[in-house]
Amino acid sequence: MHAAALGALLALVVAVGGCPSPDADTTVTRVTDDLGRTVEISTPVRRVVSLAPNLTEIVHAAGAGSTLVGVTKSADYPPAVDTLPTISALPVDFEAVTARNPDLVLATDQINAPRDAETFDALDVPIYFFSFTSLDDVLNAIRTTGELLGTAEAAADSARALQKQIEALRTRTADVQDRPRVLVLIGDDTLYAFGQGSYIHTLVELAGGRSITDSLETQAPTLSEEYVLTAKPDVILGAWGADYAPSRLLSLHPTWDIVPAVKNDRVYSLPQDLLLRPGPRLVDGARRMAHRLHPALFPSSTP
Amino acid sequence: MIRSWWLGGSLVAALVLTMGGAVAFGSAQVGFLDAYRVLAAHLLPGGPAAVDPTLDRIVWRLRMPRVVLACIVGGGLSIIGVAMQTLVRNPLAEPYILGISSGASAGASLFYLGFLPPLLSKALSMPVAAFLGGLLSITIVYVVGREGSRVAVARLLLAGVAMSALMSSITSFITFSSPEPDKLRAVLFWLLGSLSGTRWALLPIPALMTALGLGLLVFLARPLDAMLIGEEPAQSLGMPVERIKRGLIVLAAAVTGTLVAVSGAIGFVGLIVPHAVRLVVGVPHRRLVPLSFIVGAIFLCWADVAARTLLPAQELPVGILTALCGVPFFLFLLRSGQYRFGGA
Repeated sequence: MHAAALGALLALVVAVGGCPSPDADTTVTRVTDDLGRTVEISTPVRRVVSLAPNLTEIVHAAGAGSTLVGVTKSADYPPAVDTLPTISALPVDFEAVTARNPDLVLATDQINAPRDAETFDALDVPIYFFSFTSLDDVLNAIRTTGELLGTAEAAADSARALQKQIEALRTRTADVQDRPRVLVLIGDDTLYAFGQGSYIHTLVELAGGRSITDSLETQAPTLSEEYVLTAKPDVILGAWGADYAPSRLLSLHPTWDIVPAVKNDRVYSLPQDLLLRPGPRLVDGARRMAHRLHPALFPSSTP
Repeated sequence: MIRSWWLGGSLVAALVLTMGGAVAFGSAQVGFLDAYRVLAAHLLPGGPAAVDPTLDRIVWRLRMPRVVLACIVGGGLSIIGVAMQTLVRNPLAEPYILGISSGASAGASLFYLGFLPPLLSKALSMPVAAFLGGLLSITIVYVVGREGSRVAVARLLLAGVAMSALMSSITSFITFSSPEPDKLRAVLFWLLGSLSGTRWALLPIPALMTALGLGLLVFLARPLDAMLIGEEPAQSLGMPVERIKRGLIVLAAAVTGTLVAVSGAIGFVGLIVPHAVRLVVGVPHRRLVPLSFIVGAIFLCWADVAARTLLPAQELPVGILTALCGVPFFLFLLRSGQYRFGGA
């Protein structure tokens, strides 16, 4: 019985392992991802699964959108991804990913558990992890993605174009003397925020403000109402969507009536995707942020 | 008699100091003197006016309601612990261990996530749902644990553990299957208990219900004493034992349900506190019930201070801390074979 089961298992392993016959013209490349892992990739990469919506956007920005064969359920941009098969990312549906037979899986430690890499390694599916601690990391990720997926030139162009927009914004905000103290919130009821080492602080900086949570030791802190009362932010920016009524914040936290941002009507909500997805649209997010922080300098949120 | 008045008096003083001390702790730095100044401004008629508004909001509108709720929940759970222990004549009984808390959690979360229709106003329906969940749970546990007119302790505890597990699974299942965006947090709240986000407006119902429970148990002190000796002696004294027992179960479910609806399932308070108090004042309920209330209030206040301050910039669910204290205590009681009350 035991031996038979083992035999069957072995046969299965052989069958699975022997299935994808390697193309004659593939070469194996070794790269190091943002977590310091060594990833072996057979190039050219033709089938890519993206495990986070921002990575899907980055693949498109890198000019390699046509290689995508699977995206997460929450991936909704650019519109071209609507027709792609979707995969559950939280928790990762390993079966569905494997079934798409990808040459490479893209992940980010912001959403995916680095632990999942071991499971993918065991399945012989190469997985590359990105990490985003600044706006520059997004540009680098676009370039890296282009190199991995064989569209290096298009990716470099795309990164250069974004870089230009960032520089344009930076020249206008660099000399701003009055930099408001900004609190960026992810949740309105439970006060999820960005702690140390988050890309959001570079975004606020670029928009001409100062993010007050950049020195909090926890990476994803849940702030207390007391913290906000004593920190006294000048502006509160929430990732609550464009339709959010700022008055809701005061009704959830009635003690905040004396917080400068609330008192002076400087609570703003921005579209979630422009703040929470470290991808090419962050630049758009930074522009809208600048419009809110310095309305005189940026009368409209379009360039 | 004199001694217990002294004891009661000093415990009340300790409670007042505890409440004053507990408002000085939190994520923001507030000095003791400043905290007391804010309290004085609100509580004393001719107290100092014009304190810093930030400080005022932190101490009076964020921390004080939380401290008061900690007192209500700690005291309430402790006296319900006393009632349950008398009901099954065993010091190991407690609302959390016997599954009332998790049953109430399941009921409350069912309502909270919109699976039950709001019959009355939201403020009332949630405690009602929690009450029904707790009542269902304790009834099943009690029926399973009963052997004739007696209660088999091992069976009762096992039934309690099993019902707790079942009800916790129900809570987790409905929370995870709900559209609630913040599922993990909601599950943690209902299963581990937390006092975060308390406002003054939340307090009246739990306060009223706990006061009612306290009053009833003090009023029933003599019958409860008699029940500890045995049901037959109590019956022969002309006490309606069955009715009292049923009443205790409903009362336990009602008070626990109301408390769980505002604070989630905080465990083991009702185990530790009555035991400690009993060591000092003995088993008579006339003393045990009010003193357990005060000690329970003090205990949960400090447990909550620890929950707010142990990890920097984060808050622990207070139920983790009460379980950390309570479970070793429970195991010790179980091991030491103190299945009976010392004085009874």
